[in-house]
Amino acid sequence: MIKHKVSLAAAIALAVSQSAYANDINVNGFLSVGASMLDNDDVSIAGADTTGGFKNDTILGLQISKQVNDKTSVTGQLVSRGEQDYKTEASWAFVTYNANNNTDLRMGRLRVPAFYYSDFLEVGYAYNWVRPPVEVYRLPFSSIDGLDLTHSYSAGSVDGSVQVYYGRFQGDMAIGGDEEYSTDAKNLTGIVLSNSFGNFGTRLSYHRAEINIDAAAGDGTALGNAIGAATAIAAVPAGINVGTATGNAALAGFTGIGDASAADDFAPDGQTTTFMQAAVSYDNGDVSMVAEWTALENDYLAIPDDTAWMVTVAKRFGDYTPHLTYSYDKDEYESGSEGDLQEALGLAFEQSSITLGLRYDYDAATALKFEVQTNNEKNDSTDLDETGTLYSVALDLVF
Amino acid sequence: MKKFNKILKTLAISSVLFAGIAQAEVAVIVSASNGNGAIDQATIARVFLGKSKSFPDGSQAVPVDQNAGTASREAFNTTVLGKSASQLKAYWSRLIFTGKGTPPKESGDDAAVKALVAANPNLIGYIDASAVDGSVKVVHKF
Repeated sequence: MIKHKVSLAAAIALAVSQSAYANDINVNGFLSVGASMLDNDDVSIAGADTTGGFKNDTILGLQISKQVNDKTSVTGQLVSRGEQDYKTEASWAFVTYNANNNTDLRMGRLRVPAFYYSDFLEVGYAYNWVRPPVEVYRLPFSSIDGLDLTHSYSAGSVDGSVQVYYGRFQGDMAIGGDEEYSTDAKNLTGIVLSNSFGNFGTRLSYHRAEINIDAAAGDGTALGNAIGAATAIAAVPAGINVGTATGNAALAGFTGIGDASAADDFAPDGQTTTFMQAAVSYDNGDVSMVAEWTALENDYLAIPDDTAWMVTVAKRFGDYTPHLTYSYDKDEYESGSEGDLQEALGLAFEQSSITLGLRYDYDAATALKFEVQTNNEKNDSTDLDETGTLYSVALDLVF
Repeated sequence: MKKFNKILKTLAISSVLFAGIAQAEVAVIVSASNGNGAIDQATIARVFLGKSKSFPDGSQAVPVDQNAGTASREAFNTTVLGKSASQLKAYWSRLIFTGKGTPPKESGDDAAVKALVAANPNLIGYIDASAVDGSVKVVHKF
């Protein structure tokens, strides 16, 4: 026992002497205060409206991390979002085990590394926009409970990393507006390959999950209503009015497609979803560019497959950084009667945005941003074609 | 006598000038007991940007920064890292908030960094070249 104590003391003394340097609590934080105003209520973008307001782009994050010993550190990040009525949530809460200089294992609550900007999605200071382009950055949840392994390497002038993760998301997910649905995304797994060489960088990733969303015909939610309508439209014989056939006047606008099985996979109840992402970046200190392409494929029908991409360029003039971005998202219908069903419900949208902005670095920890974004939304099934302009300002700090 | 004075003055001015030039030179240092020889600028930048955690000989490398605003730090940021203070802040904020890295610790001025580095063979820092002594080894100069 005494011997054990002595060796423990020696181990502590050694650990302290080796890492005395990094052995304190680090507290970091970020704050974004944003205001935005839209000139057209018929488009929906970033939760903004024509009255304008501060709430949607306002985010406060506080992070505490501590090196527990030479190999292990703990990190926790609490984020409070105006968009969610300042409900505070742990975006990150994990233990990092540093297996060796190049390999880290993290366990706990992590971010889904779906996008180029995923890791620092909410740290406005880390990028030029007020918010990442909504056409591409469209996945409704961002944190999972699980583990990941990151191995970094360098070969010649190339620095790279491979990250693999596995986890599950259980929680509320906002789909198509303000309505939240209880969701369980199981077996969420993926791989991310990042490389940088000089001013160039690439990021490729692949993700998959089995998605269950709590909604059923007759529960009064938008998704529940869509499930009910889909089941009726699929079952009613082709060419027959669904309203007449079912006696439900609310469905009078639909015509049957005569294939009941088309609605089998309409509701998300465990089908596989895959997501692919590819990005290239360039930054020489003055000029920077990021191009990112993504594709979502759902084996259920309620949310159609889509492809979205964006290109952004920025040029620094001292403390001023003007930037220009184009982003685009297009939903695709399935083939056959499943696609006919999606089309009858008008699920596929096409959306694009042009964003012109200016970032001003007030000091080394504060940035002020101005942005004008023109957004166009189309839906061929419902003859929607609306354009709106969103004006945003934001103040971003890190501390 | 007057002429002599003038010569003295000129000498004084030129020594000030030379001192000015000498002060502008920054030395990247490791402990005298660190086994590495010269280290190139790209490797140093990788260590200070958190992309690499080891010296060329494979031993662990921990970078230390000077406090914000010192002449050596400004010179180091511009010349070795090629980034402004706000660019570095944005770079690190991408890593800090993901738990993927922390910036080098701000550890004071030339004397403080020299004392820290001299005492720990895993550290690497930079100081004004005029402050270098036998306790540390210069691995790069700019």
